[in-house]
Amino acid sequence: MLSYILRRLLLALGTAWAISVLAFIIIQLPPGDYITTYIAQLAADGTTVSDAEAAALREQYGLDQPIYVQYAKWMGQVMRGNYGMSMEWGRPVADLIGERLWLTVAVAIAAIIFTWILALPIGVYSAVRRYSLGDYVFTVIGFLGLAIPNFLLALALMYFGYVFFSANIGGLFSPELVDAPWSGAKLWDLIQHLPVPAIVLGVAGTAEMIRVMRANLLDELNKPYVKTARARGLAESRVILKYPVRVALNPFVSTIGYLFPYIVSGSIIVSLVLGLPTVGPLLLRALLAQDMFLAGAIVLMLGIMTVIGTLISDLLLMWVDPRIRMGAR
Amino acid sequence: MGRFTRRSILKGSALIASGAIIGQGLPMAAFAQEPLGSQLIGPLEGPEIVLDPARFPTSFAEAPALAERVASGDLPPVSERVGQDPLVVAPLHEIGIYGGTLRKGFVGPSDQWSGVRIGGHDTVLAMDYSNTRVMPNIAKAFEWSDDGLVLTLSLRRGMKWSDGHPFTTDDFLFWYEDIYSYADLTASPHAQMSINGKPITMEKVDDLTVRYVCPEPYPLLPELLAGAGVMGFGHAQYGRTLQGGFAPAHYMKQFHPKYTPQEEVDAAAAEAGFDNWQALFKFKIDWAINLEVPSVTAWKPATPANTPTWRLERNPYSIYVDTAGNQLPYIDDIVMTLAENLEVLNLRAVAGEFDYQERHIDLSKLPVLIENQERGNYSVHLDPGAYGGDFLIRPNLTFPADTDAEIAKWLTSVEFRRALSLGIERDQLNETFWLGIGTPGSPIPEVENAYYPGDGYRTLWHTYDPDQANQILDGLGLTQKDGEGFRMRTDGAGRLRFEFMTFAGMFLPFTQIAEMVAAQWRAIGIEANVVEVERGLGSNRVSGNEYQLWAWSNDTTETLFTAIHALPISTSPASQNPLMGLWYDTNGEQGVAPPERIQEAMALYRQGASVPPEERGELGKAIWKTIVEDVVQIGCVGLSPALMGVRVVNNRLGNAPQRQFNSTVVRTPGGSLPETFFWKA
Repeated sequence: MLSYILRRLLLALGTAWAISVLAFIIIQLPPGDYITTYIAQLAADGTTVSDAEAAALREQYGLDQPIYVQYAKWMGQVMRGNYGMSMEWGRPVADLIGERLWLTVAVAIAAIIFTWILALPIGVYSAVRRYSLGDYVFTVIGFLGLAIPNFLLALALMYFGYVFFSANIGGLFSPELVDAPWSGAKLWDLIQHLPVPAIVLGVAGTAEMIRVMRANLLDELNKPYVKTARARGLAESRVILKYPVRVALNPFVSTIGYLFPYIVSGSIIVSLVLGLPTVGPLLLRALLAQDMFLAGAIVLMLGIMTVIGTLISDLLLMWVDPRIRMGAR
Repeated sequence: MGRFTRRSILKGSALIASGAIIGQGLPMAAFAQEPLGSQLIGPLEGPEIVLDPARFPTSFAEAPALAERVASGDLPPVSERVGQDPLVVAPLHEIGIYGGTLRKGFVGPSDQWSGVRIGGHDTVLAMDYSNTRVMPNIAKAFEWSDDGLVLTLSLRRGMKWSDGHPFTTDDFLFWYEDIYSYADLTASPHAQMSINGKPITMEKVDDLTVRYVCPEPYPLLPELLAGAGVMGFGHAQYGRTLQGGFAPAHYMKQFHPKYTPQEEVDAAAAEAGFDNWQALFKFKIDWAINLEVPSVTAWKPATPANTPTWRLERNPYSIYVDTAGNQLPYIDDIVMTLAENLEVLNLRAVAGEFDYQERHIDLSKLPVLIENQERGNYSVHLDPGAYGGDFLIRPNLTFPADTDAEIAKWLTSVEFRRALSLGIERDQLNETFWLGIGTPGSPIPEVENAYYPGDGYRTLWHTYDPDQANQILDGLGLTQKDGEGFRMRTDGAGRLRFEFMTFAGMFLPFTQIAEMVAAQWRAIGIEANVVEVERGLGSNRVSGNEYQLWAWSNDTTETLFTAIHALPISTSPASQNPLMGLWYDTNGEQGVAPPERIQEAMALYRQGASVPPEERGELGKAIWKTIVEDVVQIGCVGLSPALMGVRVVNNRLGNAPQRQFNSTVVRTPGGSLPETFFWKA
């Protein structure tokens, strides 16, 4: 048991290291580097940079060195807890990610809560009242939600939000509170801004979850223990909720680990469209500008979150399912 | 209907009708009947820089917040802060009142221009609002010596940096000697700091007089100092690329190894998390990012551009005053909110969340913007550019024959390029992507431009005539066609197919426009594959001489002799043919020699820098004639407000012009002097 956990931990460490190497290589893969982007940007504004200047800039940023030297330098810093300086923003990477991370988590949790609150009851209803009018209506709505591209829904919600409710466009705070220190008023402002991103992010997931819940529950409903419970005269709601729903929830619990990376990466496009100050748009920009340290740090963070998530999943499963526990020995 | 008649910009009953149609949400086709654009374009106007001493104010007033600081002893009195020679401005309409905040949007730390253009136009000299005369700005005056070799700048007596330190010649010389001429900071000399390849030098005469000494007459220099051309001159925008022309010596010396021991600057860099002292130096000199660096702009950053809200606050030492002696700016703060993408920024404009926004506004949003004017309490103004190509096509004139001889042969053929041009139905492009507001035709500038070559040149080889195009192509021997009607290569290697490169994320939907052009070329049997690439990659392809056709715009060519987008005279990856630019730069020693006619035009271009402005007109016309006659670029649609010319203005904002000159050279809206904008009571 203990050796299994230890083995998993070692494996996780190795995976995280491999991710860091891969991340670094993949970010370097496109032609050019941050200097190319920077020069192109200046050129768009009418400033030219000569080859000699470009070479000097590369030297300054250390981009003239071979990739493994750059990687070693970067890793050396990361080990000491310094994620380097973002080339484009001119600020420490840790600060940039830090100020956006909590908002990202807030948005993702709001979306997950929205999804679960909506999907689980509907899933249960659809399974219990299979082929009823309600089942069909929810199914159709669910699939519509799945089919509408997130970004389109986001744009439409934003426009109509302004037209009908005079809501602020984009962002997670009212303009006057963006820079204010945290306070009750600011928190309340954030909560008021969360529903739109939560709905947009949650809609697609809702449809998926309804279908999974429905299918899982249908498998369970015909099992003998349900009949037994019913035969014992238990109330119908108790029969459904106490036993088969609990069993049907198992797959959700075991995939809880995957929520970690989703919290950051699941919302990139939507965050971009809605103008949310989350990590997603930061990552996209960093990749476009080939801002190595910023992009590298975010990708590394995502990778490590996935590794930790999977580890937690494995441990949970082992705890829940004796077959895995035994097999591991 | 009455609500529309109040607006001076919406003239004529026809527009009132179309305004109502938009309000009812009828389709866009309604625009086609009435040239909507012309109704939203007002007369060009702007504030006047007063040069007549008789109109100078004798006493000065200041914003209430600053008066309080003076009272508490925190600041010296206003008359000391503006100095003896403030820059006097007659506002466009009226003397304003102090106070308030101006709201704008920006898209991140790479979007420094947003803040610089509205609040930081600190060029040494400046073009007036109509881009016709060089006016004083940071410097008080300029004068040429009789032989045209020495340009003398006089600085303002008593002028100070935003921290109260005197602004003197030393700040120019520090830039020239310790930044521009310092090898560890500037790797190579700048083309515009030389004339005919010979460098110009800078000298200190006294504390308030600085001289530019030119080895040959360089009459173009004042315009360059006023912000034209690729060398910026201005600390706010070009400090960070070390091209500002002056720099706060008293502050920057502590980060410079010439004045502070190397170990100390290295240690400071390491402590701040930078790899080397140069990186720290560039960070410290950056107006938009480092709040500590002193500046001479009317507003200065109070929060940096790398945060979600970029706020500028008034500079207590601003040298701008109005004719009544009020120190400008009137408006206290400029607040720019970060938009993670352009759609959000545009929607915010629609919602009236911006008070003065022209940058990043998408022309295709015009109907929605107009529809929401009343509700958002703003008006929309259009400021068309003065250059002829919002979208034009650059054929690669140096495409290597050893890569593909057939492609190279056609791209370098004037006849072939003419045929391509005649195969483009520009009216369709204009209606679809410019709402009919643009001007179809060749890449030449507007009629009022000093270098406008004549009416015939707007349309020469730039009309839609597929029959003539087909005749030309047949005459060139491209007579074989495949089953789909496309012309075959003459070397027997299949269909003649061009790659047409566009960049993602420009102000116009370049890729979609290019797709339409490619579709139009089907009628003349030419296939073009549109390939959208990321900008950095695109620049690499240009530098590597790998592109065939390339979509671009030619903004800045309204000031032809400082622009790099008309003739291929630059080695920049933004230039049409960097290899020809290299040939030009090295007087033919390196690079690829252009065709004779382009060589002649280049000679005229070179001559332009050496002759006085009144003689440049004829040279410029001749250059444009060559460009059009030989279809050096294929013009499509231009003279439109698509690039930074759709302007949303809060109705309560005073002194806002009906039309402003839209150009990087005047730092639009910098030329309209936002210092004079104010909130009406």
